[in-house]
Amino acid sequence: MDVLRLTSLLAELPTPRTSLLDNLGRIRREVGPITAELSDALADHMNIRHGEVHEVKSFYSFLEVPVDALRVCTGPVCDCFGARALLARTQEHAPPDATVLEVPCLGHCELAPVATRGDTILPFGRDEPVLHRANEGPSLGLGQADGTLADYERRGGLELLRSLPSPERILAELKASGLAGYGGAGFPTGLKWEAIAAEPEPRYVIVNADEGEPGTIKDRYVMELRPHLLLEGTLLAMRFARATEGFVYLREEYATARDRLARAIGEFRAAGLLDGLSLELVVGAGAYICGEETAMLESMEGRRGMPRLKPPYPSRFGYLGRPTLINNVETLAHIPAILRAGGERWPRGRLWSVTGAVREPGCFEAPLDVTPRRLIEEYAGGASDEIGAIVPGGAASGILPPAALDVPLTREALREWGAGPGSAGLQVFPRRYPPLRLLGETMRFFAEESCQKCTPCRIGNRALHHICAELEHGEAAMPRPQVEEWLDAMAATSICGLGQGAPIPVRNAFRLWPELFAPLGSA
Amino acid sequence: MVKFSLDGKTVSAPEGELLVYAAARHGVFIPTLCHDEKLDPYGGCRMCVVDVEGSPRPLPACATRVTAGLAVSTNSSVPQYRKTLTEMLLSEHLNANPGGRPNELLDMAEELGAAAPLILPDAKREPYEDRNRLMGYDPDACILCNRCVRYTQEVMQCSALSLEGRGPTARIVPTHGHSWLDTECELCGGCLSTCPTGAIYEKFHEGAPPQHERSLDQVKSTCTFCGVGCQIDLHVDPATKRIVKVTSDPGYVSNEGNLCVKGRFAFNFVHHPDRLTQPLVRGEDGELHPTSWDDALRVAAEGLRGVKERHGPQAIGVLASARLTMEENFLLQKLARTALETHSIHSCEAT
Repeated sequence: MDVLRLTSLLAELPTPRTSLLDNLGRIRREVGPITAELSDALADHMNIRHGEVHEVKSFYSFLEVPVDALRVCTGPVCDCFGARALLARTQEHAPPDATVLEVPCLGHCELAPVATRGDTILPFGRDEPVLHRANEGPSLGLGQADGTLADYERRGGLELLRSLPSPERILAELKASGLAGYGGAGFPTGLKWEAIAAEPEPRYVIVNADEGEPGTIKDRYVMELRPHLLLEGTLLAMRFARATEGFVYLREEYATARDRLARAIGEFRAAGLLDGLSLELVVGAGAYICGEETAMLESMEGRRGMPRLKPPYPSRFGYLGRPTLINNVETLAHIPAILRAGGERWPRGRLWSVTGAVREPGCFEAPLDVTPRRLIEEYAGGASDEIGAIVPGGAASGILPPAALDVPLTREALREWGAGPGSAGLQVFPRRYPPLRLLGETMRFFAEESCQKCTPCRIGNRALHHICAELEHGEAAMPRPQVEEWLDAMAATSICGLGQGAPIPVRNAFRLWPELFAPLGSA
Repeated sequence: MVKFSLDGKTVSAPEGELLVYAAARHGVFIPTLCHDEKLDPYGGCRMCVVDVEGSPRPLPACATRVTAGLAVSTNSSVPQYRKTLTEMLLSEHLNANPGGRPNELLDMAEELGAAAPLILPDAKREPYEDRNRLMGYDPDACILCNRCVRYTQEVMQCSALSLEGRGPTARIVPTHGHSWLDTECELCGGCLSTCPTGAIYEKFHEGAPPQHERSLDQVKSTCTFCGVGCQIDLHVDPATKRIVKVTSDPGYVSNEGNLCVKGRFAFNFVHHPDRLTQPLVRGEDGELHPTSWDDALRVAAEGLRGVKERHGPQAIGVLASARLTMEENFLLQKLARTALETHSIHSCEAT
């Protein structure tokens, strides 16, 4: 440990508790992995008890590992495309002093199997450039990247921020557009904005850029290709909510998005567009659960990212107990187009991440009622293998058989299949990848990412992972009726969406691949 | 007071009261594991979930407050959830009895007829060894209810314990996994007292049989170590008639069940052979001899009077014990100033 560097760095670090996560991140980057000594030194500097900093730093996956660690993703898509072999190769060939980590998701599923070395993405485990594959799309226009603010402005950007429609008009257009949160929960954006406007000031605006659902890469595409578009949507939200402080909570693994956003915020500031507003980038440290909005608030306030009990909801009791508007990246990025076209005429669509066994995986804007088959064939270059299971919208959205290829990916149509569109992360698995393995890997992901606060999520996901693993050898770890009781308890009594949603793919699999679960007996 | 509905009956409670208490007063017991009235509501174990009309999911009674018109049901699916959650906790509860303390999880399992359907392959937690001689801790008996950690943070305002990590390897340990002696811990045993499964226990009872604590007789007493007057329960082994443990009930007024290291652990002096149990006076032979209180006080009074006559009252100084109460200190200074006529009186508790 470089004591001199630590001392000079500590002198620079702000002491409010809300700076804890950022301070830990800076120490990790500039001094080294957070050891007990570094943790205590920061605790003393910030006048926080040692144990509370220990709790926080050990909560995240990356604060205790070196910045230049080699991380190999073993999320479901990567696992299907050879992540275990890549991990073994990486462990074998890594320099002796390198840290090699297996991580449950890196958010680059279109490059599976993917790895990272520090901030460098290694598509397919190789040193090669990261390419984006996106369509132009009438709302988001991801087909073309904006390099600078001037590029953005040339394409009609900033018009709305400059003309700034009245709050009444903004609300009316949002409601008319039918826009519903694209982070996964699908809450109507108009209602959310209406609720925040009814709460007392001061209010905060937070952009949820902690995209972490395996198979979902769309927010990263928006931030890497059109960061200014996201910022215009964010500033419109801040002006609407009369919030002077805004935050973008970004997952640690998105290094390119971090750079692009930081540069774009700088350009906005230099152009005088932030007049009177502060917009800050908060970088996570490796914890899927922090994408849950109340866990994110806890994380930003310098505590373990464990979800709060709801109600109260963030619109009433959010960041530092104040009314807070939290929107997903893609949701905010659609808002300039909605206000430009008018809510009625806005071409309703969303971004679909299409990954797995397709020829051209990427991120595509398509209508809300698009089918998996159309996404695969018309947008993603067609299937590259015989299709087995498909995951319609992210890990907790469900697991469906090829028979569902022609189902419109709407909430209503998918409900009949016991699934949902989630965060629109369509993952296509080849027939050779066993559904049981897919289910087991999904449960492993949830188990490792569980924050540990509530019993059903903490234990239920581990048990389901174990049950799937045993079934692969034809063993029954638990009788089927009891598994159903556990699923019921998880869905009903978990604190947040992680534990509540985890039973969805299991129940899907029970229904659609009953033969795989025969050893458990009948329901 | 507002009216609300509890299992179909209309009952009343102060607005804002936690549902778990309001229900108990109306005869509906809702079990909890992670709840402690001294701590902020946590809602983690989910054992106390109840159905509340209008809520899409059951809500924890330990964190839900009574409002007018609330309609609560503990009948429908609630009992099944309780049983399932108990099964879940049992499926990683590898050691149910490290130190003979009561285990509320096992009580609940027995009452509900719940058993672990499987043992999770990753149930074994990294063990924890500590060189202190008072408190033991077995992570395999812990249910991660976080009561101990919250007790240190919210009640003792100290930094002894942490909920470390995330996912299957998470565990509760003294900060950084150090010995308690190397943290801010003062070994008050508060974490031990709030632990619902006995995962933290008196180290001198390590390996005691299950239900050991419940087999002991209890005698209510007042701690003598200082003037606070903490109320304590002395636990007496019925066979040997010796005090083997001290606890304190959260309902006790002066200390709300909190104790310090002395009150909780320093009870061995009671049975120590060197302990004085009657007055002693030094005789002509230079040795100490048992005598009556009247005689002992007479000898002391004569001695003091002699000093006063020979050297004047300022030759006498009085040092008050830190164990005296305020009233006893008052009487002692009265004795010093009016009978002994000295100003030299001091308590070692003085600040």
